[in-house]
Amino acid sequence: MNVLEIHNLTKKFGDFIAVDNITLNVREGEIFGFLGANGAGKSTTINMICSLLRSTKGEISLLGRTIATNVKFAKMNTGIVPQDISIYENMTAYENVSFFAGLYGLRGTLLKERTEEALEFVGLADKHKSFPKNFSGGMKRRLNIACAIAHRPKLIIMDEPTVGIDPQSRNYILNSVKKLNQMGCTIIYTSHYMEEVEEICTQIAIIDHGKIIAEGTKEQLKAIITDTKDIWIGIKAADTLPIDQLKQIQGVMTVRHEENTIKINSKGEVNNLNLIIQQLIKDDVEIRSVEEQAPNLETVFLTLTGRNLRD
Amino acid sequence: MLRDMSWLIRKTLKNTFRSKLSWFVYLGLPLVGVLISTLLYSNSNSGILRIGIVNNDGHQVITQDAIRFIQGLNQVEITMTDEQTLRSDIVANKLDSGLIFDPGFAVSVQDGNPKRINLVSVKGAQVTIYVKSLLQSYISNVAAIGKGTNGDHTAFDRIYSEYSKQSFKLTSESVSDSSNVRDMTYQSIGFLITFMMFSAVNLSELILKDKENRTFLRLLSSPVSARTYVLSNVVVNALIILLQILVTVFLMKSVFHIDSGIPYGQLVPILLLFGLASIGLSLLIVAFAKSSQAAGAMQNLIITPTCLLSGCFFPIGIMPNAVQKISNFLPQHWLLDSIDKLQHGEGFGSLGLNLAILIAFTAAFALIAIYRFGRNNDTRLFV
Repeated sequence: MNVLEIHNLTKKFGDFIAVDNITLNVREGEIFGFLGANGAGKSTTINMICSLLRSTKGEISLLGRTIATNVKFAKMNTGIVPQDISIYENMTAYENVSFFAGLYGLRGTLLKERTEEALEFVGLADKHKSFPKNFSGGMKRRLNIACAIAHRPKLIIMDEPTVGIDPQSRNYILNSVKKLNQMGCTIIYTSHYMEEVEEICTQIAIIDHGKIIAEGTKEQLKAIITDTKDIWIGIKAADTLPIDQLKQIQGVMTVRHEENTIKINSKGEVNNLNLIIQQLIKDDVEIRSVEEQAPNLETVFLTLTGRNLRD
Repeated sequence: MLRDMSWLIRKTLKNTFRSKLSWFVYLGLPLVGVLISTLLYSNSNSGILRIGIVNNDGHQVITQDAIRFIQGLNQVEITMTDEQTLRSDIVANKLDSGLIFDPGFAVSVQDGNPKRINLVSVKGAQVTIYVKSLLQSYISNVAAIGKGTNGDHTAFDRIYSEYSKQSFKLTSESVSDSSNVRDMTYQSIGFLITFMMFSAVNLSELILKDKENRTFLRLLSSPVSARTYVLSNVVVNALIILLQILVTVFLMKSVFHIDSGIPYGQLVPILLLFGLASIGLSLLIVAFAKSSQAAGAMQNLIITPTCLLSGCFFPIGIMPNAVQKISNFLPQHWLLDSIDKLQHGEGFGSLGLNLAILIAFTAAFALIAIYRFGRNNDTRLFV
């Protein structure tokens, strides 16, 4: 069963097309990764799902009902964890969760139970009387999540919930996402961190310039680019690198230099490793290691969009 | 919708009054205004006229008698002084007016042509007229003796001595002077108006703050609509302004003993109507401002000068005609004018035009704000 169905969705701002005729289905129980660089149309799509923006064309349905005509129903069944932390600094953790849950009609004992449950879930039960101004970035993110889940929505949209936090809090949040999914929630997850998406998402869509350019499981996406290979060459720090010369070698598609590694994406069928190494030696670049990488999501994204996710 | 609104109102009120600063800003400042008005007008509250006398005519009997005459008047307190001190004391509000007897005054009276007495005041005829008219009447009588004796000093002394022995019976009735309380009320209301307007903008600014800290969009992704959210802000604003009015009016009467002479049933509704106009203006500011800092700057640029021009800080009557005409375009003027009319005994029914203008201001502000909100409610600005 599809929890969310997006059909021919378009959003224009004047002449600018932010979302261009996209069609997507999110099935019940999925953790759906939604990937796109900044300005690709991700947030606009999410805002339309949350009824914060009206579409120019197309339709979105949640649990079989069109959200344009069932706004309240759609909002009651959706929980949003915004990219920016949206909590009140002058209210305690308990008051924050209780206030947002109250907006969904919860009152009395039920509200109290659900608030305590949500705080317990994100590991902030012992901090329920504390004010967020005294929280670390990770704790604020967890409180942000608690505010979105207390009313037990069917669909949870998490827009970059791990931005700017320590690895420990990130792991906590990723585990929480998995746990929520096991409890029956369907999740739409956006992140700039490919490894997170690779770790938790069961289905992935890539959006670029307002269009869905690829969709499928991790394996299906990787299969798209089996005709290419990644060669990572470890080098000693060098002042100048022959990037342009490397790009001219037969089969080489992209060349990137990150710290002490040259990352080359090349056509799979062309055997050009010797030529690449010869070029580096010719330019006095000291080679320390050579590795051929198995394709990962980052490669997929780079190959399909021509840009890094964090660009 | 009502359920959502009451939830939002509860939260905003709780958050607002959690801070001690809010208590001071919303309820303390109007009281400070009342206190300032009380201090400003307390000097003239005694009803005693403080007159400084400079006697440059020495120990002449006629001059001494004239001074004694003034001393004997009701509600007058005299201080013998010199000319320089007199002028500085009048400027410093230690004296209400001054009287200077020039050399040769007694002789001029005796000759039947009394010299003009110098009366000094910065408060105008309302302060000097009482003393001036009574003193002139007394001197005219003595000068008439001088004229009648035609320079015969022995005859003058005899008749003047007989005249002085006559016992006069002067019956005076004091009526209570309500003008002072009226001024105090006017000024207190003037300060209340200013603080009400600042409070309204502060509370509407919460909308901008919610937009800045992104909770606004989070709220709108819940079943709460933007209309419900803004309406709840307006209700909170109106409730706090009503509380501000009730506390100020009650304490004015019960603590500061300033009886405006207007029944609560008339004063509170008309102040509340102005409060609604202030909320309309605050929404207008919030609709046009792009940040809470910009709203703060706009509030200072709009509220302080318009309050000044409308007579919130000092009586409009002392301002030039052109300024008085400008104030006709400001809502504060119409409230102060209504208060003035009610204090002068006009009925609530005769304030039709004033009330209609205040309602029109409220409606105009609110409609422009709604139009503007509709146009700039673009999530791109906040996402």
